[in-house]
Amino acid sequence: MRVMFFAQLKDVTGCDSVELAPALPLNVELLWAELLKQFPKLAAHRASVRLARNWEYAVPDAQFFNTDEVALIPPVSGG
Amino acid sequence: MEIEIQITCEPIAETISPPPPSGVTGAWLEFRGVVRGEENGQSISALEYEAYPEMAGREIRRLLTEISARHPCMAAKVIHRVGVIPVGETAIYTGVASPHRGEAIALLAEFMDRLKQDVPIWKRGERSAELPFGVNQKVINAPNRNSALRSLDEAMAEIISRCQPLPAGRTPLGESFGRILRETVCAPEDLPPFDRSTRDGCAILTNDESESFQIVDTIHAADWKPRRLKPGEAVRVATGALLPCEYLRVVMQENVERTGDQIRIVRRETTANISFRGEDLRAGEPLLHAGARLDAGALALLATAGNANPLVSPRLRVVHFTTGDEIIPPDRTPKPGQIRDSNSILIRGLLQNFPCDLEQAHLPEDFERARSEISNLKFQISNADVLLVSGGASVGEKDFTHALLKALGFEIVFNQINLRPGRPLIFGVDGPRVAFGLPGNPLSHFVCFHFVVATALARLTGGEPPNFFCGQLAEKLEDQPCPRETLWPAKWEISPDATVRLHPLAWANSSNVACLASANALVRVPANTGPLAPFAGVDFLPVAAMLGAT
Repeated sequence: MRVMFFAQLKDVTGCDSVELAPALPLNVELLWAELLKQFPKLAAHRASVRLARNWEYAVPDAQFFNTDEVALIPPVSGG
Repeated sequence: MEIEIQITCEPIAETISPPPPSGVTGAWLEFRGVVRGEENGQSISALEYEAYPEMAGREIRRLLTEISARHPCMAAKVIHRVGVIPVGETAIYTGVASPHRGEAIALLAEFMDRLKQDVPIWKRGERSAELPFGVNQKVINAPNRNSALRSLDEAMAEIISRCQPLPAGRTPLGESFGRILRETVCAPEDLPPFDRSTRDGCAILTNDESESFQIVDTIHAADWKPRRLKPGEAVRVATGALLPCEYLRVVMQENVERTGDQIRIVRRETTANISFRGEDLRAGEPLLHAGARLDAGALALLATAGNANPLVSPRLRVVHFTTGDEIIPPDRTPKPGQIRDSNSILIRGLLQNFPCDLEQAHLPEDFERARSEISNLKFQISNADVLLVSGGASVGEKDFTHALLKALGFEIVFNQINLRPGRPLIFGVDGPRVAFGLPGNPLSHFVCFHFVVATALARLTGGEPPNFFCGQLAEKLEDQPCPRETLWPAKWEISPDATVRLHPLAWANSSNVACLASANALVRVPANTGPLAPFAGVDFLPVAAMLGAT
C-alpha cells in the first residue's frame, strides 16, 4: 500500500510517500494509528486531513487494502 | 456532457477554442483565474501550485458531472496549471458551453466554489517580489517579514523568543499563590521522618507469636518514647504516633481483647499498619520542579518541606489602556453610537490567573491628547512589565496604538497575525517589557488573551505556555473555508465514553459577546478548513472558565 503526502504534509513527514504492508485491510482508525506510529507529527494535522483511496475521497467506514493507493489530502487551495 | 480536463505545467494559451459548434449551443462562457500580485498581505512575483494529478482530474470530472445534473450544460473544458506561475498568468481556465447563459453561469460559479473545497491542488508557496525570479531560487513558505501576516505558530515562536523570564525573588508562602516556582525544591528529610502507626491499636514485634501481651506503654500522636520491645510486650499507639523502635507491627484495636494491662489478639492481620520512614519521599527527592505553578496543594507541600520562602516569579506589573471615544462605563446608558466598556472587566478577570498588580485607564483616541493624559497618570508606565492596549488596532485606526507604543519606546515586532478573530494584534517589546495592542472586540480579546498574551505572561514568569489538547467535535462545526487560522469558541464536556467532546458555539463576528459567557475552550481550526463533521478530531485549548464551568 502506498500512502502519499501532499503540500505541507510533505514538510511534516519529510517524504512524499511511504509504503505500508499491513497483513489485513486497515480501517480509518488503524490506518491513522499506523501512520502516526511512523510520523507522530501528523497528529496535529489529522483533524484537517481527508483520506483518499484510489483517487477518490474515502468514506468513513472505508477499508484500505494492500494494493490500494492512499493519499492524505490536507485542505486544498487550488483555483 | 462532454468534459475535457488538463493538469499541466505549461502556460495556458491566451485563446482556447470553444467546443465544435452544435445546433443547441447558445452560450460559451470562459473564466480565467489569474495569479494576483499579493498573497497574505505580501507582494509576490509568482505562486507555486502542486497537484495530485490523478485524483484532481477525477474530482474535477465528478464535480462537473454532479453539478451539470442540476444545471444542464453540453461541454466543459478545465485546465489547471501547476508548478511556478508568475503573477498575471492564468492558473485555471474553465470554459462551459450550454444552451442558455443561465446554466453555464450557474455551473461555473458552483464548480469554482467546489473546486476550491475538494480538488486536490494546493498553493505551495509564494515568491517574494523582491527576489529575482529563477528556477534555482525556489522560495517555498518564505519566512514572513514584519509587514507580512504571521501564522499563529510563527507569532507564538516570536513571542516565546522575545519574552524572557523576569528575575525571581524569595517570597513568603502566604504571598506565593499562583506564582511560578523558579527552583526545583527537594525533600530536606525522609517523609515521614519516622515509622508511624496508621491505626489506633497495639504495637508488637513483627514476628511475636505470643498468645497474650503485657501493655508496657501508651504513645500518643505527639509523643517521642523510644524503647525496645520484648516478646510478649505491647505498646498502645494512636494513629500517627511515632513507633518506639523498628521491626514492629500494629494490631488494630478492633482486633484485640483487653483485660486490664493484658491484651489478647483476636484476629491477626496481614498488614503492618505502619507508614514507614521515607515511604512518601526520600530525602533529596524532588518535591516540585522549577516551572510549577504554586496552587494550594503545591504550597502545602512546600510548607511540609519547610520551604517557607520559595524562589518564585515576581508579581507582574500590568498597565491596561482602553481606547475609543465611543466607550462609556458599564453603569451609563449608551447614546446612539456608544457602547459600554466590557474589555476593562474582561481583562481584569482574565488576569486573575496571573498574580499581578493591574492599573487601568481610558485614553482618548487622539494621539496628542492620549500622550498628555499618559503624562498625567498617577502610575508610571515605564515600570510596567506588560502594557495592554484595547482597541485602536484595526485597519484605519491601526496607527493609533502602533504610534502610541512606538512613542512609549516599544519596538513593534508585528502588527497583525493570520488569526480569526484577532488579526490586528500588535506585539511590541522594549527590553524586558512587552506590549500588546488587542483588537477592540471582546471576543478578539478573549481569544488573543488566552493564547497569545497568556503565552507571553507564562514566559515572563517562567511558567509553561498554554498547550492544546486533543478532543472530538460533538456536533458539526459550521464554517466556510477561511484563509485565516481560527480559534473557535466552544464548550467542552466529558462524554459518556470518557473522551472530551466539544460543542462549537455560534459566533458571527468578533463583536459577539454572548458566547464568551459559555465558552470554556478554543478549538483550533486550521486555515482553509471549512466545515468540520461531528466526531472530527480537533485540537483545543481549555480556557480559564474551565474550572468553574459544568
